Amino acid sequence: MAFDLTVKYAGEGGEGVISAGDFTMRAASNLGYEVVTFKSFPAEIKGGYALSQVRMSDEKILSQGDGFDILVAFNGEAYEVNKPLLGKGKVLIWDGPEGGDFEPDLEELEKMGVFVYAVPMSKLAKEEVGAYITKNVIAMASVFELFGFPMEVLKQEIVKKFSKKGEDVVNLNFKAIEVAQNYIKEHIKKIDPYRVPGPLPKKDVIILEGNEAIALGAAVAGVKVFAAYPITPATTVGNYLSPIILKTGGFVYQSEDEISSMAVVIGASFAGAKAMTATSGPGISLMQELIGLASMTELPAVIVDVQRAGPSTGMPTKHEQADLFAAALGGHGDDQRVVIAPKNVEENFYLTIEAFNLAEKYQLPVIMLTDGSLSLRAEAIPTPDIKKIKENLIERPVIRKGEVKPEEIENLFRYAVTETGISPVFVPGESPKPYTATGLEHAENSRPRTTPDERVKMMNKRFKKIANIEEENPHLVEWDLGDLQEGDKADIAVVSWGLSASITQEAVKRLREKGYKIAALYPKLLYPVPKNALEKLSSMADKILVPEASYLGHFARFIKMFTNIPQEKIVQFNIYRGEPFIPKEIEEKILELLGEKVSA
Amino acid sequence: MEYIRLQEKLPPKEYRSDIEPTWCPGCGDFGVVTALTKAFSEEKLDPTAITMTSGIGCSSRLPLWMNAFGVHTAHGRALPAAVGIRLAKPETPTIVTAGDGDIFSIGMEHFPHTARKNFDITLVVMDNRMYALTKNQTSPTSRHGYKGSLNPYGNIEDPFNVIKFAIASGATFVAQSYSGNPKHLAETIQAAVEHKGFAFVNVLSPCPTFNKIDTFKYYKGRLIDINKELGHDPSDMKAALELASHVLDADNPELEDAEPFKGKRPIGIFYKVEKETFEERVAKLKEKFAPPSGEPDWDEILAKYRP
Repeated sequence: MAFDLTVKYAGEGGEGVISAGDFTMRAASNLGYEVVTFKSFPAEIKGGYALSQVRMSDEKILSQGDGFDILVAFNGEAYEVNKPLLGKGKVLIWDGPEGGDFEPDLEELEKMGVFVYAVPMSKLAKEEVGAYITKNVIAMASVFELFGFPMEVLKQEIVKKFSKKGEDVVNLNFKAIEVAQNYIKEHIKKIDPYRVPGPLPKKDVIILEGNEAIALGAAVAGVKVFAAYPITPATTVGNYLSPIILKTGGFVYQSEDEISSMAVVIGASFAGAKAMTATSGPGISLMQELIGLASMTELPAVIVDVQRAGPSTGMPTKHEQADLFAAALGGHGDDQRVVIAPKNVEENFYLTIEAFNLAEKYQLPVIMLTDGSLSLRAEAIPTPDIKKIKENLIERPVIRKGEVKPEEIENLFRYAVTETGISPVFVPGESPKPYTATGLEHAENSRPRTTPDERVKMMNKRFKKIANIEEENPHLVEWDLGDLQEGDKADIAVVSWGLSASITQEAVKRLREKGYKIAALYPKLLYPVPKNALEKLSSMADKILVPEASYLGHFARFIKMFTNIPQEKIVQFNIYRGEPFIPKEIEEKILELLGEKVSA
Repeated sequence: MEYIRLQEKLPPKEYRSDIEPTWCPGCGDFGVVTALTKAFSEEKLDPTAITMTSGIGCSSRLPLWMNAFGVHTAHGRALPAAVGIRLAKPETPTIVTAGDGDIFSIGMEHFPHTARKNFDITLVVMDNRMYALTKNQTSPTSRHGYKGSLNPYGNIEDPFNVIKFAIASGATFVAQSYSGNPKHLAETIQAAVEHKGFAFVNVLSPCPTFNKIDTFKYYKGRLIDINKELGHDPSDMKAALELASHVLDADNPELEDAEPFKGKRPIGIFYKVEKETFEERVAKLKEKFAPPSGEPDWDEILAKYRP
């Protein structure tokens, strides 16, 4: 039986709940465990309910899990919110028996089979350490002491994080650790069964947060200009990229708005640089006109949309997958663009690189859809082989001075119609022949043209580029068939994208362990819709479940719109509460569709 | 960073593409094309290294008539597109050509920010004081009372003093010229291209088709050279702002004889100052953080993320 433990810190924003989770995650990873975090906080700087959850295991973790094993409640609100989730075998650590702002119903919890520990975090921080700010360190150290995390690891992390702030700060935190340790030793008798088994052999991993993985991926891909305007939850992509990009010869530019960010990307791309922006829903709305310009002028551009719940300002810090329509179709006219989506932090890294490769290869805008929850999720991923990635980067076909004979230059056109629709690229300062990229319809030589023949010719050329994108990039559709072979009959088929796919993966794994035959598809390419893969999947089952964290279920509707799969086969499963799915609800939904009774 | 330049001067006509302008006969913007080609020739710029951007409108078609690299962008977005080029390739001289509606209305948010950051961009605005391509609407520089298709009763707004605004925004070169004075226009544009930093040239450029007020005939005899005739020193910001405050006096019949312009339109360089450009600051940062080998040290970068 694999070790699989989830610790959740919950309390008020600004009280160190989030950093308690981060420290615990780092400690677990230090011990060689796989980690996945889940964080959520309000849109305000201070106050409101915040949570930070760390799941750790000695096996690959697919999702944030169904909930928690251990809850550390910093205050009454955190206790009330999580009370319904407490049950037999769970652990509650609360801020008491005095000094806190609440008192749980101990008798009731005992009846439910919850293991309860009272640790007066506020009181110890104030009276014993002499600094209320150390309340979260007391909480963490209590967890470490109770469940067998080596305290040394926490101390190392504290030194790493606070040594810049001076010895006093480090010592204050060390004192808090000691106070917590002593309290636990003197006052708490361990009654729960949870204990970290001990360190595993060290793995060659790096820990990245979702947006950090995007930033690192962009740097590895060779981004030279990153232009963005601050917007939650996309801002940290730029924050993380800033210190790296200067070391790789690029620059992070904060522009005056999202429209200008996209225009900067277009200008930089025209000048030959790999360029990118990161934004969220409201920003992608503003960029639409210029995404169309990038498409019409065939300039590579990478646009990351870290989705949040909308419309309008919506819930800026909450999870949703409802920007697919906007990403794929949100422009005027028939434009060519590609939309891709990663399902976990590792894919955030690799798919960002892929976004650049696709943009450079097909000379068009590529939009990568991630989301608020994934932006904050931390994972330990195998250290990437940068050299190998670099060798496989796609660069655009720039015609350089001296590469073509002077007599050939005259008949060399920037928008030449070719077999693939992909044309030679001219770059200022490098190519022998200038041209003007224009959003006006144009001829092969880039001159504005509106004749019916030219229009048809150029529309066909541009659409030809992406006509076979699915066949040319089979790795952008992930099959998950378990023991099934292609063409076998499955009990049910599931299609899932983005963060929901990683959660679906876990649900599917559990169902297979129970003997169900599930055919699953996790497309990373969302638009153009991977029709062939979806139709192949459809032939394997009578029903296709599409779980999506949106009211409308954008991808399910795309399947109905762009494939020949009978509409009635598609079963939408939509949540729109601002949180991601948990594996259990997808598991139960599938069982329900199979006519199975769901056990309580 | 130094621009890519030719060793020998190319004749001005070599900077024209073989695309004929779609402008109306008598359009003031023809003068701007001529002046630009002269300036490029004088500056020995390499046509395969010049970058131009524009927005939407009659004047914004200009890059298409030129033998240079160009991006004809969306309405109002010429400046940030130019910023992208500056960040990616500072060795290519960047010229933005725009109309008054494009740059001061839909694209207005970009102007002060690009100016204050002092990107090395030459912005040439062809100011005909109205929208022409959409057939006669008022623009931010239209006169009070101007009759456009959306306000046949006459403009109830006052025009925008773009010279004063440019100086206040932090532009390091601010000038006004006139497309009916080819010599002044070419010299001014050349000075702007030569200027390291954000250079703004507002060109009074009549629209013979729609604007029946701000015509060549109107401007004739109604121009005053602030540098030659008034002895204005462009390095004096206070004097520049004071002069700039009176740019629109000629709109007002009550100020017909008022100092300093006596009812005339000023042309000349209002303000000019040397200041480090944004590109120079970026280059300094890059130099400071660049790895000694030139190749990023990925092991060092990855080490930051190890547990």
